[in-house]
Amino acid sequence: MAESNAVEIRDVVKVFGFGEFAFSAVDHASISIRKNEFFTLLGPSGCGKTTLLRLIAGFEFPTSGEIILNGEDIAAMPPFKRPINTVFQSYALFPHMTVADNIGFGLTMLGRPKQEVRDRVAAMLKLVRMEKLADRRTSQISGGQQQRVALARALAPQPKVLLLDEPLSALDYKLRKDMQIELKRLQAETGITFIFVTHDQEEALTMSDRIAVMSAGKILQVDTPRAIYDAPTDRFVADFIGETNFLRGRIGSVSGGIAQVETPMAGRISATLPPDFVPDGEVTVVLRPEHACLWLPNDSAPCQTTGTLENIVYFGTDTHYHVRLQDGETQFMLREQNKPLQRQRFSVGDQVGIMFEENAARVLRN
Amino acid sequence: MTQPGANEAERSRDIRKRWLLSLPALLIVLAAATGPLLIVVLYSFLSPGPYGDVQWQPSMDGWIGVFLERDMFTETLSIADAHVSILIRSVMLSLVTTVVTLLFGFPTAYFIATRPERTRELWLLLITIPFWTNLLIRTFAVLQIIRNDGLINGVLMKLGLITRPIQMLFTDGAILTGMVYVYLPLMVLPVYANLEKLDFRLVEAAYDLYATPFRVLTRIIIPLAKPGLIAGSILVFIPALGAYVTPSILGGGKNLMLGNLIELQFGQGRNWPLGSALSITLMLIVTAALLFYVRNVGSQGSRHG
Repeated sequence: MAESNAVEIRDVVKVFGFGEFAFSAVDHASISIRKNEFFTLLGPSGCGKTTLLRLIAGFEFPTSGEIILNGEDIAAMPPFKRPINTVFQSYALFPHMTVADNIGFGLTMLGRPKQEVRDRVAAMLKLVRMEKLADRRTSQISGGQQQRVALARALAPQPKVLLLDEPLSALDYKLRKDMQIELKRLQAETGITFIFVTHDQEEALTMSDRIAVMSAGKILQVDTPRAIYDAPTDRFVADFIGETNFLRGRIGSVSGGIAQVETPMAGRISATLPPDFVPDGEVTVVLRPEHACLWLPNDSAPCQTTGTLENIVYFGTDTHYHVRLQDGETQFMLREQNKPLQRQRFSVGDQVGIMFEENAARVLRN
Repeated sequence: MTQPGANEAERSRDIRKRWLLSLPALLIVLAAATGPLLIVVLYSFLSPGPYGDVQWQPSMDGWIGVFLERDMFTETLSIADAHVSILIRSVMLSLVTTVVTLLFGFPTAYFIATRPERTRELWLLLITIPFWTNLLIRTFAVLQIIRNDGLINGVLMKLGLITRPIQMLFTDGAILTGMVYVYLPLMVLPVYANLEKLDFRLVEAAYDLYATPFRVLTRIIIPLAKPGLIAGSILVFIPALGAYVTPSILGGGKNLMLGNLIELQFGQGRNWPLGSALSITLMLIVTAALLFYVRNVGSQGSRHG
């Protein structure tokens, strides 16, 4: 099992500052990142994802814990001894070197023969489609091209793991979309494990094999994009990724991993429990806006709950409905995909029924 | 649509106005910089007067005297060994001073540049404090430390490590020590200014790409700090070459440098044309050094500076 892991982070803590100013940037984090995986660290700024990346790269050393690479604890190893390379947010290209010299730098430092360096640089330039700009200075190429050079430079020494620190954040929207596809292609072609740091949930969902969601130095959930989106286990994860409805209630009965939750605003909801979670008293139930649908009261359908339609927002691809539930406080949001030339079925002020999709509601850990 | 002729006239009026506006500056440059220099050039081609000054009689003796000397009795010319050795000592001492200030100045500047931003100014202040004191006093302070009954010899004698004082004063080493002390800030400041702009993420990137700390220094930091290192070297080398006060006090009049030799011609030597010729020789050496800088670093520095 350990053989299939590229990097294992075991109970890593990183504390900055001393005494009363001490601050845990990474707080008892443990993750196993598999070989050939596109792994994403996702979280808001200041959540510790970049610190964790810097710990893996070797720019910081953990206060405690182990970082295992190929069965060896590298936590105290300097960066120039780790078979790990980084694509920096600022690219950090060497301004006094040409594009080709930048890409060849790592191999030269490893003492590879000149011919090998030259061949590898040529192959890398081809891989990122930059053959024509080999002899340019890095200040003479565009932001997107610098991005490609930074990628080629980090990939050239064929590292075991490639770290990417929000590499797309400086690019404009169109270029970012292209680079997302490009990155996936490079990862597939090179077979190198990618650890990608971002605060952009969409980027994380579209590119990753698995995502670790971080908040305040802690890793909250590690799972596939689909599971992170459909089955968040923490309130933070549910809130950070996508839009969500939260419903508070009391646990009624539990059987087979499904809990019956009594809520004041939507009656009894059957919701899936997170694994290894023993619910106790008050819980929060989460439901995505597209996992419910609206009915007019005269449609004879088994509604979960009813409410008053307060607002309709047209978004092009879909329409958002905001419904005030029967308790008069909770606002519930639904999302329906638009169909061509669809007649508007509802209008503001309508009494509407809401139906939940089966197995869509989930209990959160807190 | 203006007539081409009218356009021409307007442009020439514009050019005239520009010249008129820059006239005061040009006058100052002419009167304060070029003028005195021309006088020095002129004097170097005249004959010395018996009590100093010059006689209005053209002569090449001043220039001949820079490298050659006329035998008093036979009137034959031979190489002026004293001048040549002073010239060589001046260049050598200035070069060594530059190298030593580089060796001390670069780590100092690097240290300051890597401090937290709040404390950097304090360190810079400490570096510049010696500047607030007169050069003469600073030089005498060095003299107090290294003279025979000075601080170093006193301590060594008290400790019983030596029985007789070591002769440190009035040697080339004394001049070197004094010049390094005096010119060190001139090296630290430009190097610091350069290192302070250095993007330390580049250092991280190099570490990440398997460069050892020594390789990071030689492949990344020094190449990027090169404009500052060169600027500092020039700022040290040029005044060191013409140094007068430091070699005169710490060299004790025996170990002359070019500055002292020039002073001698205008004082006791009463040979102003030779003094002028020596001054211009010094200036030519400096110009050559500057041209070397411009050729090798100037253009490259601006590309990524």
